[in-house]
Amino acid sequence: MVTKAIASYRMKSLDETLSQLSKEDCQLIAGGTDLMVQRKSPRGAPGRFDKPVVFIDHLKELKQIYRVNQDIHIGACCTYSEMMEHHLIPNILKKAMKEIAAPAIRNRGTIGGNICNASPAGDTLPLLYIFNAKIRLRSAKGERAAEIRDFIQGPRKVDRLKDELVTEIILPEVPEVQPYFVFEKVANRRADAITKISFAGSMRWDEGRIQDARLAFGAVGPTIVRAADIEQKLVGQAFPLNDKVIDGIVAEFESLLKPIDDHRSTGVYRKTVALNLLRHFLEVRA
Amino acid sequence: MNAKDISISVKKKDHDGKVSGQLAYIGDVKVDLMLYGVLYRSPIAHGKVRSIQLPPLPEGYAKIGAEHIPGANFVKLLHKDQPIFADEWVTYIGEPMFMLVGPEFDILHQLLDEVEVDIEEHPAILTLEEAIRQKDHTGVFASHEFGERSDVIKAIEQHAHQIIEEEYVTGYQEHVYLEPQGMLGIYTDEEILVEGSMQCLYYVKNALISALACKDDEVRVIQSPTGGGFGGKEDFPSLMACHVGIAAKAVQKPVMLLFDRAEDFEVTTKRHPAKFIYRTALDEQGNILCMNVELYLDGGANAGLSPVVLQRSLLNSAGVYKIPHFHAKGYALKTNTVPNGAFRGFGAPQSFAAIESLLGHISGKVNRDPIEYKRNYIVKQGDPTITGGRFKDPVLIDDMIQDLLQTVEYAKKKAEFHAFNQHNKRYKKGIGASFFLHGCGFTGSGERDHIKATVKLARTENDQVLIKISNSDMGQGALTTLSKIVANELGLPYEDVSFPYPDTKEVPDSGPTVASRTTMIVGKLLERAASKMKAGWQSGVSQEAVEHYVHEEMIPWDEEKFSGDAYPAYSWGVNLIELEVDTLTGNVKVEKVYGSFDIGKAIDEQIVKGQIDGGMAQGIAYGFMEKMTSKSGRIEQKSISDYGPPTAMDVVHIESKLYDNPFAGGPYGAKGVGELPLTGGAPAVQAAIEDALQIDFYQIPVTPELIIERLTKRAGGSD
Ligand SMILES: Cc1cc2nc3c(=O)[nH]c(=O)nc-3n(C[C@H](O)[C@H](O)[C@H](O)COP(=O)(O)OP(=O)(O)OC[C@H]3O[C@@H](n4cnc5c(N)ncnc54)[C@H](O)[C@@H]3O)c2cc1C
Repeated sequence: MVTKAIASYRMKSLDETLSQLSKEDCQLIAGGTDLMVQRKSPRGAPGRFDKPVVFIDHLKELKQIYRVNQDIHIGACCTYSEMMEHHLIPNILKKAMKEIAAPAIRNRGTIGGNICNASPAGDTLPLLYIFNAKIRLRSAKGERAAEIRDFIQGPRKVDRLKDELVTEIILPEVPEVQPYFVFEKVANRRADAITKISFAGSMRWDEGRIQDARLAFGAVGPTIVRAADIEQKLVGQAFPLNDKVIDGIVAEFESLLKPIDDHRSTGVYRKTVALNLLRHFLEVRA
Repeated sequence: MNAKDISISVKKKDHDGKVSGQLAYIGDVKVDLMLYGVLYRSPIAHGKVRSIQLPPLPEGYAKIGAEHIPGANFVKLLHKDQPIFADEWVTYIGEPMFMLVGPEFDILHQLLDEVEVDIEEHPAILTLEEAIRQKDHTGVFASHEFGERSDVIKAIEQHAHQIIEEEYVTGYQEHVYLEPQGMLGIYTDEEILVEGSMQCLYYVKNALISALACKDDEVRVIQSPTGGGFGGKEDFPSLMACHVGIAAKAVQKPVMLLFDRAEDFEVTTKRHPAKFIYRTALDEQGNILCMNVELYLDGGANAGLSPVVLQRSLLNSAGVYKIPHFHAKGYALKTNTVPNGAFRGFGAPQSFAAIESLLGHISGKVNRDPIEYKRNYIVKQGDPTITGGRFKDPVLIDDMIQDLLQTVEYAKKKAEFHAFNQHNKRYKKGIGASFFLHGCGFTGSGERDHIKATVKLARTENDQVLIKISNSDMGQGALTTLSKIVANELGLPYEDVSFPYPDTKEVPDSGPTVASRTTMIVGKLLERAASKMKAGWQSGVSQEAVEHYVHEEMIPWDEEKFSGDAYPAYSWGVNLIELEVDTLTGNVKVEKVYGSFDIGKAIDEQIVKGQIDGGMAQGIAYGFMEKMTSKSGRIEQKSISDYGPPTAMDVVHIESKLYDNPFAGGPYGAKGVGELPLTGGAPAVQAAIEDALQIDFYQIPVTPELIIERLTKRAGGSD
C-alpha cells in the first residue's frame, strides 16, 4: 500500500543520462551519502524516494580531472578519495577533504554532491568560494556555467533545472605558486563530524603590500559567507597588517555574521570562533 | 609470568563469529510469521490520557495496549511506577502508550502517523533544578543522609580559617552500545519465549512473570549475542520484553520490536545528570577540617534503578580520600523526562568527577600542586570508609601514583608545558590526574539478600563441560574469562569448556551481569563448582555441580543508617592525561593517556586491556566530548554524529599498567574491572584542561563552547 516500486536507471553514458533527464523529472544520485541519510525511513521501511532514480556515480565523463591553461577542471562525480590522490588538486583542498567524514564515506561522496546538497556546513564549499569556482551544467539542450555563489541559493537549494546535471567544477586561473591559504574546520570530533563553523582564507602579498585577500565562513548562515567589499579593503594594505586594520576587518565581520543556535552548537560560539580564526589569519607574518 | 599463568590471553570464544560478521544479533533474526511492533509514544511530557483514536487497521494488524496485559501494568523492578503501556497518565515524552503490530514496517509507520490521541496537558518538571526546588513537596524517589553530625560540622565551620562552597554539575551520557535495543517474543502453547539483547535474564523473566501473571515455567528468556550493554541493557530490556511478550501472547505469533538509533537515543535510559553542592572548611595551612556534600540525581520519569544508583553516588562522594568529619546527603529526584538508569559506573563517575574537581580547585586556592595535595588524604589499608566500613585489604594506590609520576616525569613535564604555554599564543598544554576506586559487586548486602546467586556446571558423557549461568557476554569477554577459570580449575583444555548463550530454561539465576560482579562473584562460584566437580570426577559419566553464594561477614551493612561495609572489595585506578587546548576554537586534543589499575588479578590480560581502553575512552569522552541535552522534555541529539562519542581518530594509544593485588574472595584473586576504567576519565581530562588554561570549571562535559565562553570572559576581565 505505501510502498510503490520506482524506476531506477544506470545509463552507459552521459548523453543517455541527459536524454533520460529530458524525458522525466528524476532524482539524481551520485555517491548517495547525503541522499541515503535524508531519505532514510524509520527502521525496516524503504527509503522515501518519490521520483525515478538516476545513478551517475559510474559515469566516466564525470570523473575526469584535467587542466586547461590555468583552469583546473574537476568532474562532478570525482570522489574525495580520488581527488585526494590527484596531482592537480590544490593541497589546501586536499587538506579540507581529509577532514571530511571517514574513509568509507570519502570513497563514495563526491564534490558534485557536496555542492548540490548545498549545506552551509559542506566542507569543500568555503574553499570553492575562495577559488571563485564555476559550476558547469549540461542538459540535452546545451550547456552553461554559473558562479558558485550564484548557483548555491540556500540549504539544499541550487539553481539547477530539472533536466540539468552538474558536469564539472572549474577552478579558474589557479597559479602555479599558490598564495597563503588557510582552512579550518571546527567540529565536535576528529572524524565523521559535521562542521560547527569553518573558515577559509587566502592572501597574496608582494613587496610589503597585499595584492589579494579572500575570506569565507561556513555554517554561520544559510550559505557560505564571503564579502567582496570587506576583502577589497585589505587590498593595497601594508603587509604584515597592523592592528588597526585587523580590528577594522574583524569589526566588519562582527556585524555581518549572524549564526544561530542549534543542536550542534550555539550562535555565540560560532561567531566568537569565526572571528578568532579570522583574526588569527590576518595576523600572519611571513 | 609463568607459562601456566591464567592471565595469558587466549582466543576469545566469540572471536570467529564476530570477526567474520557471521554472528546473528537480534536485528538479524527472522522467524516464520513474524510480526513487527512499533510503539506509539507520548508526544507530551505530562498529562492525562483522554482518548485514543486509531485509523482502521488492515487485516493482520492489531493494536496491543494495557487491555492486553494479563497481570499488573507495571514493569517489575524496584518501584511499581513504570507502566508497561501508559494508558491513563503519561509522564515523559516518548513514553510507550500502546503498540501496533503487523507484517510490514512501512504500513505500521503510516498507521502510527494516523493515530489521534487527546491528552490533557499537566505541568511538567523538566529540569533537575526545578525538581530540587520542589523536593520538599514531591518527587523524591530515594534519599539518604549519613556521616558526621551537623552540630559537629557547624562547630568546626565556626572556627575555620575559610569555607569553600562549590557547585558542580554533570550531564547526560548515552551508552551508544553497538546494536540498538531489540527484543523478540515468541508464542507457543506451552510458553512465551523472549529473546534479545540483554544483561539480566532473570530481571526480564521476573518482569514477564509479573506482566503475564503466569507460572515460572510459562516464560523463558534467552540472551541474543549482545554487542555492548554498558548498563543500557540492564533495566531497559524488561520494558521491551513485556511489550513483545504481551503482544506475542495476544496475537499468538512472534513479535519483534527493534529500535533504530534515533529512537534508541530518544527513549532509552541514560546516565543520571547530577548536581553537587560542597561546603569545605579549611584551616590556615589549607588543610581540610570538615566537608559537607549534598547531591542530587535526575532520575527521570520513574524510579527505575535510581535509588540504587544514588547509593553508589553517595558511597563515592568522598572519592579515595579520608576526609575528616565528612557528611553527605543525597536525593534521587523525579522529572518528566526520559528515565535514567544503569550506566557503567552506576552513579560513581558523577561523584568522582565532582570530588576530584573540588580537591583540584581547593589545591589551587591554597597554592599547592593538585596531585601532591590530594595524596595527603589518600586512604590506607585499615582506614574506615565514609560509612564506617573498613578498607581491610592492601591499598596500593599511593604507590601506583608515585610510579606513574616517575614514568611521566611529572615535574619536568609541568615545567615544559609551562614554557610552551608562555610562548604559544594559540595552543596551551596541560596535564591532569584522577584517583579513584570501584566497589566490586552489589552495594551492601544485595548479593546475600536479593541476588542469592546459584551457578551450575554440567559435564557430558564425553567429558565436555558446560557453564550454566544467567550472565551475559556483552563484549566484555565473560564467555572467555569464565571458561578459562573453569578449564583451569578442572585441568581441562580451554576448548573443552563451553558457555552457551544463557537460556533461563537451562540455567539457574546466577544474578544479573552488572556491578563488576561477574568475574569476581560468579567466577568465584564457578571456581568452587569446578573444584567440586573435579573431586567427584568419573570419566564417561555425566555429572552436575551446583554452588550457591556464601556471604563473607564484614561490618554489617545497614541501608537505613547507611553504615557498614558497602562492598566486599575495591578495585583502584590512577589516570593521567596530557592534552592541548586550541584557545581559538576551544577544541581539546588529548595527546597522552596513562592508566594504572589494581584489579586484583587479570584473568585474561587482553580482555582486561580491552576493558581499560574502552572504559577510558568512554570516561574521557564523558568529560569533554559527549554532550546530550534535553529541551522542553525532549532529547535533542538524534544521531551518533550529533552526540559525538569519540572515533578512533580521537583516542590516542592508552598506556596502561596492572598491579597484582590478589583478593581472596575472587577467583585467582580477581576483583571487578568492568566499570572502574570509565570512572577516572572525566576528572583527569577536566584537570588537564584546567591546568592548560589556568581556569577552573564547574561542570562536565567541558565542551569547546564552555571553554570559549570562559576564555572570552577572562579576556573581558570578568573572570
Ligand atoms: C557519515 C557521514 C559523514 C559526513 N561527513 C561530512 C563532512 O565531514 N563534511 C561534508 O562536507 N559532508 C559530509 N557528509 C555529507 C556528504 O558525504 C557530502 O556532502 C558528499 O560530498 C555528498 O556527495 P554524494 O555524491 O554522496 O551526494 P548524493 O547524496 O549522491 O547527492 C547529494 C545531492 O546532490 C545532488 N547531486 C549529486 N551529484 C549531482 C550532479 N552531478 N548534478 C546535479 N545534482 C547532483 C543529488 O541529487 C542530491 O540532491 C557526510 C555524510 C555522512 C553520511
